[in-house]
Amino acid sequence: MLRRLGPAFWIGSAWIAVVLAAGLLADVLPMPRYDETLAGPPQAGPSAAHPLGTDGLGRDVLSRVVHGSRVSLGVGVGAVLLGLLVGAPLGVLAGYRRRAADAVIMAGTDIALAFPALVFALAVVAFAGASLRNVLIVLGVLGAPAWTRLIRGATLSVAQREFVLAARALGARDRRILWREIVPNVTMPAASYAFIGMAVAVVAEGGLAFLGLSVQAPTPTWGGLINEGRAIMENAPHLVLAPSVVMFLTVLSFNLVGDRLRALTAVRESGLEPVRRAAPASLPTAPHAAGDVLLQVADLRTHFVAPHGTVKAVDGVSLTLERGRTLAVVGESGSGKSMLIRSILGLLPAGQVLRGGKVYLEGEDLTAYPPERMRRVLGTRLAAVFQDPMTALNPVRRIGTQLAEPLRVHRGMSRRQARAEAARLLASVGIPDPARTLRRYPHELSGGMRQRVTIAMALSCGPDVLFADEPTTALDVTIQDQVLRLVHRLRGERDMAVLLVSHDLSVVAEWADEVVVMYAGRVVERGPTAEVLERTRMPYTEALLQAVPKLTDPPHRRLRVITGRPPDLAALPSGCAFHPRCPHADPRCATETPPLIPASDPPPAAGPPAAGPPAAGPPADGTPPAHQPPPAADGPPSAVTPSSPAEPRPLAAAVPPSSTAPEHLYACWHPRGAGTAITEGAESHGR
Amino acid sequence: MIAYRLARLAVVLLVVTFLSYVLLNLLPGDPTTQMLGLSATEEARAELRRQLGLDQPLLVRYGAWLGGLLSGDFGTSPITRVPVAEELVERLPVTLELLVAAEVLALGLAVPAGVAAARRAGRALDQALTALGFALLSTPVFVVGVLLILLFAVTWRVLPATGWTPLSVDVGWNLTSVLLPAVTLGCAQMAVYARLLRTDLIATLQEDYITLARARGLSPRRILWRHALRPSAISLVTAVGLNLGALIGGTVIVETLFGLPGVGRLIVDSIFSRDYLTVQGCVVLISVGYVLVNFAVDLVYAAVDPRIRRA
Repeated sequence: MLRRLGPAFWIGSAWIAVVLAAGLLADVLPMPRYDETLAGPPQAGPSAAHPLGTDGLGRDVLSRVVHGSRVSLGVGVGAVLLGLLVGAPLGVLAGYRRRAADAVIMAGTDIALAFPALVFALAVVAFAGASLRNVLIVLGVLGAPAWTRLIRGATLSVAQREFVLAARALGARDRRILWREIVPNVTMPAASYAFIGMAVAVVAEGGLAFLGLSVQAPTPTWGGLINEGRAIMENAPHLVLAPSVVMFLTVLSFNLVGDRLRALTAVRESGLEPVRRAAPASLPTAPHAAGDVLLQVADLRTHFVAPHGTVKAVDGVSLTLERGRTLAVVGESGSGKSMLIRSILGLLPAGQVLRGGKVYLEGEDLTAYPPERMRRVLGTRLAAVFQDPMTALNPVRRIGTQLAEPLRVHRGMSRRQARAEAARLLASVGIPDPARTLRRYPHELSGGMRQRVTIAMALSCGPDVLFADEPTTALDVTIQDQVLRLVHRLRGERDMAVLLVSHDLSVVAEWADEVVVMYAGRVVERGPTAEVLERTRMPYTEALLQAVPKLTDPPHRRLRVITGRPPDLAALPSGCAFHPRCPHADPRCATETPPLIPASDPPPAAGPPAAGPPAAGPPADGTPPAHQPPPAADGPPSAVTPSSPAEPRPLAAAVPPSSTAPEHLYACWHPRGAGTAITEGAESHGR
Repeated sequence: MIAYRLARLAVVLLVVTFLSYVLLNLLPGDPTTQMLGLSATEEARAELRRQLGLDQPLLVRYGAWLGGLLSGDFGTSPITRVPVAEELVERLPVTLELLVAAEVLALGLAVPAGVAAARRAGRALDQALTALGFALLSTPVFVVGVLLILLFAVTWRVLPATGWTPLSVDVGWNLTSVLLPAVTLGCAQMAVYARLLRTDLIATLQEDYITLARARGLSPRRILWRHALRPSAISLVTAVGLNLGALIGGTVIVETLFGLPGVGRLIVDSIFSRDYLTVQGCVVLISVGYVLVNFAVDLVYAAVDPRIRRA
């Protein structure tokens, strides 16, 4: 916790301590008195005897600045304490009690904010007398409304937390809750604001003093010193500079200390955090052959360097995709599905990302493209649709503007052409009254309509591959089917490939030609949809299938779940990442990572690792390059898709029984049902 | 909704005028001392008080004053014998020009700085801009002003240290005389705005719609300025309204420092001469201005974010 404060906090604290000590010890420090005239020659610059020089009357400037700190710091600390004393109880009351108390108190602070505070401070001090006490009281009271607001905000956020709600529900007395739960939790934000408040109070006192309305001469104040020095700054600029610099450093220190304290509790960063160097390093790529396919992903890796370790979000994924086909990527939340799409498209967040592997589009290595060239590929040849249509559209731009933008940027259309094309695109995704929709904002459309708009946007420049990241998860069931049907129809019309990320196996069974099952950033099973769903080998896939509730289940049957929780991607288990949750695991699973094994080979014999399948490559390496699936047939898409693309296909027809179909591969030492079909699981997923 | 807002506005103004009137009148000090001198007899003072109506109960005086306000009569200063409204009308343009110039400078520099920092969050440029902003935020306005005078007026002699040329007399000289005061006043605002914008932009840049804009192959510059800036501007707009209070406090110091004949200077002068009526007039003017600007800010929200228009 102390380390997180950083050097700025300690330097600021040290300076405040120095100024505070100097102010307290001002009378005993070995220097001339602040009001001793002709302690040195008048208007002399800094010297050994007078480190900050002397003023017009030959008084020692250092001594005057040190004595001035008494007023500045005294008012700064005093005003904050007074403001807290008045404002904090009201803030706690408003935040905890809510309702009437809150309304009254907040209306009061609203009115107080409309008051010109400094004008009032000036008037009160001028009329009531410019003494330290009056300045302190005025600044303290004028600061109180701000304290009420801040403390109310902090209280409000604590009062809504579970432990307070629970305590209230259990009938704990308010006083007890306030002292035990609220006050300790509000103290930390209050402390950070207190330092920032001190900076404000020091500046305000300086302003009063500068106008001649703070503690009167001969007592020196920082603002007063600057005002005095102004008259002769042409000849003796040090008179202005010395108090200015001291004041700046003090205010800066209060602000820094306050900001660092706030960083301990606040989520938002202020920008003063220590620099994290972006790592240019990349991960090695396993040797592979670039095939003659539309899209080939080879040994793709994306690791994030986080404080608690390296998060292996995508860890050696290889796959291929042909025109006119749909590849589904399935897995639990956190298995790396979405990150896989972002990695393929090169849309990773800035920061410490380690990347490895290659992405080929018709044999061209996209990972070697400079950003500008990659941007020409994005949107024109590769396009994406995301899960939540609520967040996928810019809320402040009209549908028409958003839809026309890629057309104008990539296809060089004029405004009118782009608008006409945008309307045509909206019509093609089944939006009624496209012309009107173009003039609307996203929040004026329903979720299903919005997702159609994002699909239209993705398709606007005629991409070769559409990446759909859970495109229907946020939609309700009837809309889901419409959207998937739409994607399927457009795939056929435009001869594109679709990479569909989903955790919904019924969607996968209905719409995908091939399936890739991911676990902990790796591919654990892949192959033709029917093969994988009907002759499941990997226990993880089996568990996924069994976790799907079925209409044929007897009533009151317990939902089957996958036991345990998805692994921490920063600290993966050794061996097979699934083994801690796998009912069939044995010691070998905990020590050796199984490679992808062709399902057509005999299942690996139990026993020493050397007895592994000959084609599997080194068992420790989970991504044997030898098992790139052979390129699929280059035949016309009609050979793959049924004649009427909008119709769901029967499962059996999902993959043509052809020798060029993708191979069924799995990563497991103890595959399930080698040869025996788990028909129960698969049947229920056809609709 | 508008009716509710207007009613609220009226209540706030009523409370502000009442409190300011009562507070200022309860403070010790007496304009008769200032007008007649310390040697005046008690009879002469009582006579003057009666003439000025100061012998009436506080509430009655407040009522009369408020009635006058509604008809545009702010009263006549017993010290300068000038109607307060006239004085305000004469000085308001100076202060308004200063405020507008300071805000324009602050926003004009803060938006590019905030965008540049957010785009390279965590890198050297961002760190440098953040540190600079912190430094500006920690420099009191009179320190900034004095240092600027020291540099530009005393050392380099390129800009005047004090004085004011009205816009109607000479545009060039007017701009010269407003430049240093506006920079002085705008410095801290700029730091606040840049910081707010940076924080909100960084949050916006993580939104799905920004990732999808990148996925459509749009350039980073286009995404930043056309897609991310507007959704990130709400806090900035709020701050512009709320900071007005602080800014008006700043004009008091800046106008005194640079010798500008604005409302801020009037406040300081009237306070020193115990001219309550003029101070009250200024307070009312400032409060009305503050409330009206924040009223306008609410309308600007709708322009920035179409989702608010429905509400």
